[in-house]
Amino acid sequence: MTTPTKHERRIVIRPPLSLAGTTRDENRKLIREWWAELDAAEDEGRPVANVFVMGSMAEILRTFDMPIAFPEMTSLQTAVRGRSLEYITTAEDAGYSPDICGYVKADVGVHLQGRDHPMGRLPVPSLVVATNLCNTYIKWGEIWERMYDCPVFVFDIPGWRGSGFETKPSSGTFRDDVRYVEAQVRELIALCEEVTGKRFDIDRFRETLAEVNELSRLFQEVLELNQHRPAPFNALTEGINLMGIVNAYRGSPKGTRFLEIAKAEFAERIDSGVGAVPDERFRLLLVGTACYSNFRDFAGLFEDWQGVFAHSDYMSFAGGALDRGVHYDLDRPVESMAEQMVLTTQEAMGGMFWGQDWLTEVVRDWEIDGIVFHGVKSCRTVSTGLPDEREWLLRRRDIPGLFIQSDLVDPRLWSAAQLKNRIDAFFESLESRRAIGARR
Amino acid sequence: MPTEPIEQIVDEVRAIVEDPSYPAARRWLDTHPDGKVLGHFQVYFPEELAHAAGVLPIKVAGFDTALQIRKADAHLAAFVCSIARSALELVMSGTFDLLDMFVFPPICDVARHSCAVWARNFEDIDCQILYLPHNAASPAAVPYLAGEYRRILREIEEVASTRVTDEALRASIQLFNENRRLIRELYRVKRETPWKLAATEAYLLTRAAGVMPREEHNEILRRALAALEEREGRPQDRIKVVFVGGFCEQPPLDLISVVQDACYIVDDDFMVGLRWILEDVPVDGDPIEALADAYLNRSDYSPVQHDPRKPKEEMLLRKIRESGAEAAIIAAAKMCEPGLEEQVGYSQALFAEGIPHLVMEFEEKSTTFEQTRMEVETFAESLLFEFA
Amino acid sequence: MLVAGVDVGSTQTKAVIMNEDREVLGKGLVPTGAKLNEAGQAAFEEALARAGARESDVGFVVGTGYGRYRVEFGDAQVTEISCHARGAVFLFPNTRTVLDIGGQDTKGIKVGPDGEVIDFNMNDKCAAGTGRFLGAASEALEVPLSELGALALSGKNPVKMTTTCTVFAESEILGWLAKGRRVEDVVAGVHKAIASRSVSLLRRVGIEPEVTFTGGVSNNEAMVELISELIGMPVNTSPETHHCGALGAALFALEQVLTGAIPERHGV
Repeated sequence: MTTPTKHERRIVIRPPLSLAGTTRDENRKLIREWWAELDAAEDEGRPVANVFVMGSMAEILRTFDMPIAFPEMTSLQTAVRGRSLEYITTAEDAGYSPDICGYVKADVGVHLQGRDHPMGRLPVPSLVVATNLCNTYIKWGEIWERMYDCPVFVFDIPGWRGSGFETKPSSGTFRDDVRYVEAQVRELIALCEEVTGKRFDIDRFRETLAEVNELSRLFQEVLELNQHRPAPFNALTEGINLMGIVNAYRGSPKGTRFLEIAKAEFAERIDSGVGAVPDERFRLLLVGTACYSNFRDFAGLFEDWQGVFAHSDYMSFAGGALDRGVHYDLDRPVESMAEQMVLTTQEAMGGMFWGQDWLTEVVRDWEIDGIVFHGVKSCRTVSTGLPDEREWLLRRRDIPGLFIQSDLVDPRLWSAAQLKNRIDAFFESLESRRAIGARR
Repeated sequence: MPTEPIEQIVDEVRAIVEDPSYPAARRWLDTHPDGKVLGHFQVYFPEELAHAAGVLPIKVAGFDTALQIRKADAHLAAFVCSIARSALELVMSGTFDLLDMFVFPPICDVARHSCAVWARNFEDIDCQILYLPHNAASPAAVPYLAGEYRRILREIEEVASTRVTDEALRASIQLFNENRRLIRELYRVKRETPWKLAATEAYLLTRAAGVMPREEHNEILRRALAALEEREGRPQDRIKVVFVGGFCEQPPLDLISVVQDACYIVDDDFMVGLRWILEDVPVDGDPIEALADAYLNRSDYSPVQHDPRKPKEEMLLRKIRESGAEAAIIAAAKMCEPGLEEQVGYSQALFAEGIPHLVMEFEEKSTTFEQTRMEVETFAESLLFEFA
Repeated sequence: MLVAGVDVGSTQTKAVIMNEDREVLGKGLVPTGAKLNEAGQAAFEEALARAGARESDVGFVVGTGYGRYRVEFGDAQVTEISCHARGAVFLFPNTRTVLDIGGQDTKGIKVGPDGEVIDFNMNDKCAAGTGRFLGAASEALEVPLSELGALALSGKNPVKMTTTCTVFAESEILGWLAKGRRVEDVVAGVHKAIASRSVSLLRRVGIEPEVTFTGGVSNNEAMVELISELIGMPVNTSPETHHCGALGAALFALEQVLTGAIPERHGV
């Protein structure tokens, strides 16, 4: 019953692990390189594409050797650096509402302040690829379209359709969806040829697809390592680093190599009996996103209870469906890309709206004690239906869940005492559940 | 035969529009005991598909104090617009218990989530997302949309246990073409002689389309247009404005009334789904493809569709020019991400063109408008002074 | 040996002294103010005085409420959600649903037969529809908080409040008075608004009998009546429900003592 006082962490003395820190170091190196490439592109006159984590189309853009900027990541970084609020207020001063996505405002704020980001210079996009997987992507793209007069390609992947819908490759709907998506793959290729002045190189495209196949395989293996008790990595704090690289380096051998490093480090932790959180007591599943403006505090509220996030749906939807298993057929690259896009996206997006079955599976396979549903004002895409999903899972499947709200990047929406109260009460209820379960 | 006064017709539709139990749909069910009801948001749904199957399409909207939110809030995150809450509440509370099917648009993240929330809670309602294409200018969009319409039509056929022929579809298209023509006529009257038709009256007459059989609505519009012929009215010294921001959630009637007390609203995007298709849909050829083509290529614009052929600011400027307006009111529903984002682009463009405009937020459930009244009056006064 | 529960809430701090037979020997109640530890100490001392006991008689103190980490003499902390659940089942053993309306937040709690929390829900970030809203009404109308309930019961035509926001409450209340509505009807309207908001929170966890109403507002007779009416079943309350959080905390403290988990410094 005793709650450890906040930030009172125990130190466990163990023999040193030879791979400790290798993932973190590689992550830092790659993120630096990524910024350096974006920065150099402007001086070299290389066209840059602004894309998003859900459906980045890196497979195509990398084939054209286009540096890809992820504004979701750069906005996130403003928050982790403690600078998001000044950019958000700059955007609000320019007329953007307090009630819209904070990622958009943090990004707009940086652009309005001369593109000077805490980690480098934000590029001027020559092309924007926005999927429909988040509707705000499209509105965000329109803002740059107005600022820089760049083309916005809305890549439309029809998603989960409602009651009784299943993604079945044999169905007529699937074939219709693939035909539409395949046409768009070809349209985007043509647009990239126009923007870069380069011809589409199908062999290069095949290489990129092969790399994504490998990335997806490794990504699934890394996630599965966390089925181990204690979980070797925290899907919340370390998960975010993995997601940064698998997005920024999707289709590049560097991304694949990074996952090999991570996999080795996590495997070593398993071999040595080391968990991400000392003396793991609770295994959690995060649904939604974290709060990056108060990231350490957010993580600490769960670590205080020796709770580890063994998985998160963020690692599914924000990973361009890598967790669902991407298998491109290199003999028919364009057609196969369209099929895989529809297949994996409908699963991953379905998991966001109609997530109860996937979440139930994760709870079973990752031996989860409770689900933390974190709604963020910035993102209606991940947040809107969470209270309903939580209630459904508790009522129908007896899976305990906690619903809390704050924001991705807006520290004004962080309410420490209220969050702590709810989180503490949730752990207390998990404890009494456990005690009563043992007694009955 | 003397025509009836327009006020009487407006009162008649107002009673129907403002009743959250959807009395006209209930009356229809009395005469169609096996009839099925398909609900949808007003933003756009090809109602012809439902009509051809003998299913009654209903545009579900929110209500002000006539509907209290008691249950719905427990199922949605805090930062969600009013229309999503109201619609859920209508069904959860049992106020509107007639639905057999509900079709959500893919226009925003709240709408897509809502489909899942409904499907989890209402097992007796077939909840579908009609995936209208977001890549509107793609040559592949029309065939894709035709396929998607056929999928929804199959769902409707299943709910209604019927088969729909092309002939039935063509007949429905004709009925809805007539409806669109009559609404265009109503808007022409409002645009050309706003002193003869108040914005609130035009709004109620239009909105009624969503809550009653379209045959009845066409009749109401014919009566209203006849009554307007007789109506006298003198132009007053008011500025002419275009009001935008009503593409999904509708501003409360009292808000429209506050605006029209100071301005003539000569064009708007209220109930845009009814007017999305700008021309008659052809009835020769494949009716499904004709509907799909009309949605994409003979249509209006809105903040929830990206179409490089229709840059939204240019479309707004054209709307202002074509309606002879001097100014614009750029509204957005509270918590509506796309609407709020569009406000910035609109106001920048209007500023660049030197067109006066007022930016505001609304919520269908608002009940006090004193602040809005003051803002609108001040805005109108400053313009009258400027134009004088 | 005695145990204590100290509930440092946003507006009031409550303390309960209990013996090993689970009998409440003394209670304390002080306004919280800005100095949380001092409030906790004052309430604790008041309860000790009522119990005729000394601080050294108390073997274990559990702190709860928002200020629970600031109770420096506390041995452990438990959230008020767990405490209200435990306290309510202690007072009314058939309790399955707890409604706690406190100063800054309102909670709906679903409990199991042993007082364990199965699910809970709290109001959103703002204080809409909490005890604070009554406080705002009390200030705007210049009616003491303790008299609001009785006044509300005499209101026959409650006004329809459109806000439960404490920030806008005052202006709306003054607006109704300016329109000539009677004070009691305005007060009744305020109560109705809070009750309906609280009940919708309760619905989120599911309402199962018996329902026990706890927290500072549970002694407001109008609120008890309105909530019972809205949920269509009786609501348990007693003079003890106001102190339910501190009571639950004391019960947790006793469990620690009885299971031998007593901190060393007490030297027992």
